[in-house]
Amino acid sequence: MYLYLPVALTSVNIFLPVGLGLAVGLLSGLFGVGGGFLMTPLLIMLGIPSAVAAATDSNQIVAASTSGAFAHWRMGNIDFKMGIYLLVGGFIGGLVGVEAVKALRAMGNIDFVIKMTYVLMLGGVGAYMFIESFQNLRNKDAAKPVERKADAPKSGFLASLPFQTHFEKSGVTHSALLPVIVGGLVGILAAIMGVGGGFLMVPVMVYMLRMPMHVVVGTSLFQVLFTCIEVTFLQAWSNHTVDFILAVLLLLGSTIGAQVGSVFGRKLKGEQLKILLSIIVLAVTVKIVFDLVLTPGLLLAQAGGH
Amino acid sequence: MRNFILALTITAASIFAASGSASATLTANANHSLINIDFMYHGSTVSVRGEADSGVDLVVKITSPEAHQALKTKGKVGGVLWMNVGQLEFEHLPGYYALYATKDIDRILDASEREKYGIGYDVLGRKAEIRPLANEEDRAKWFSEFIKFKEESNLYATPKNIVTTASKDSASASYFMKSDWPFQAPPGIYDVTVYAVKNGKVAEEAHSKVTVEQVGIVKTLSDMAKNNAATYGLISIAAALLAGFGVGLIFKKDGGAH
Repeated sequence: MYLYLPVALTSVNIFLPVGLGLAVGLLSGLFGVGGGFLMTPLLIMLGIPSAVAAATDSNQIVAASTSGAFAHWRMGNIDFKMGIYLLVGGFIGGLVGVEAVKALRAMGNIDFVIKMTYVLMLGGVGAYMFIESFQNLRNKDAAKPVERKADAPKSGFLASLPFQTHFEKSGVTHSALLPVIVGGLVGILAAIMGVGGGFLMVPVMVYMLRMPMHVVVGTSLFQVLFTCIEVTFLQAWSNHTVDFILAVLLLLGSTIGAQVGSVFGRKLKGEQLKILLSIIVLAVTVKIVFDLVLTPGLLLAQAGGH
Repeated sequence: MRNFILALTITAASIFAASGSASATLTANANHSLINIDFMYHGSTVSVRGEADSGVDLVVKITSPEAHQALKTKGKVGGVLWMNVGQLEFEHLPGYYALYATKDIDRILDASEREKYGIGYDVLGRKAEIRPLANEEDRAKWFSEFIKFKEESNLYATPKNIVTTASKDSASASYFMKSDWPFQAPPGIYDVTVYAVKNGKVAEEAHSKVTVEQVGIVKTLSDMAKNNAATYGLISIAAALLAGFGVGLIFKKDGGAH
């Protein structure tokens, strides 16, 4: 059964995007990371133009992160103060990112930039996860979880930044500039890559902002939700690249897949799952690298997209 | 998948004689000439049928009007990475071009006739204007790449010998061709020309048109995405928020993507 996508201007078998949404949602529920960083390259592999894939993915992340943020809000796991500072940065970053996408599309380099951003981000995150999990598996005694202390001593540079403020929910004190800058960088990536940024935001919150893990996940979802709402609107308004029908098909699969995955995730072992995820991430990276390095079948491509 | 069987009416009024043939009887029968791109669209099927003089060969050409086409060129940067390195402008070429015939066109039609009626990729290549180009070799290379790009997109096609004929009586024969209509062909008006070929020359020709247009929800969303982008964006966000809340309420446990 095929559906015609009015913005991507292509016809797809309905089971492909729904199945893709389900698979990526399942992975995100299983591993506790966002599905966006996998969804956009897989959509491109399905033949969806890069700019439409990235913008539409932002739209479907709105649904997935709403579902998760709603659950964490009920459990009191969102640091709203931190979330709002991150959002301020995220909004500015989103604006910059969408304008960058526009300029790059006009120059014809958008595919290249999206692919290179993916190679660097996915390659880095995938390799880090693989090495960390592999080491933990080899030396299980060394893999004991360490509870992070709130307000642990910070480096001199972070402590010297102006506008120091206390974040009660997370139990940390930071310069207000820090979450704004971090949110800004994630906002730029969200626009270029079509991702929520959760897979970058979570390690930054844990290691740089030193927030407790349970608050990190809820606050990350809160920030990702609003960043993706902004990015979706700007992509639709400025670039006309959001395909509503494709987004509905993806979110049908991803919202259900995420919930099913979170149920299975509680029953499976963590390190093996992490290694599996890192292999998937690295496989996607390798595919993108091959596309960039091997001689393409066609030396001409559509100019300007839609 | 839903296929439309499209037959083309080429009425007696649209037929005119060419090359001095006075006894032409080229005709066609059809159902309709409109392809609707709707929600379930995955391309269509186009068929042309009719009557012609006995013993003639037939060439069916379906094209969109000539239009300016801009395409990005890929090249190697730094000796390692393939990326878009420039843009070429193609003029005097149709966006869609398909040829069907009873036999190999090179065997049944003289080169001068192919040139005159715009039949064959090589004829298109000579007419085309491509810029900017460094030299004539570049022109051949990029026209060949243009054909590859179009064929890969299912917008150019020259399938062999798919027009069939059957004798009706000693003076006339019926002909028929059927081919897939690609979903990649954009909305627009397409020209259909049937040529009756005798002794290497076009004896007569007939014309019709196929109209492809978006309808229903596809047209509504496509128009809204372009002309009412803010509303379109807000509707997309509202639908995603509702879906997220809906699933969150149904499962009523923590979880979800982040």
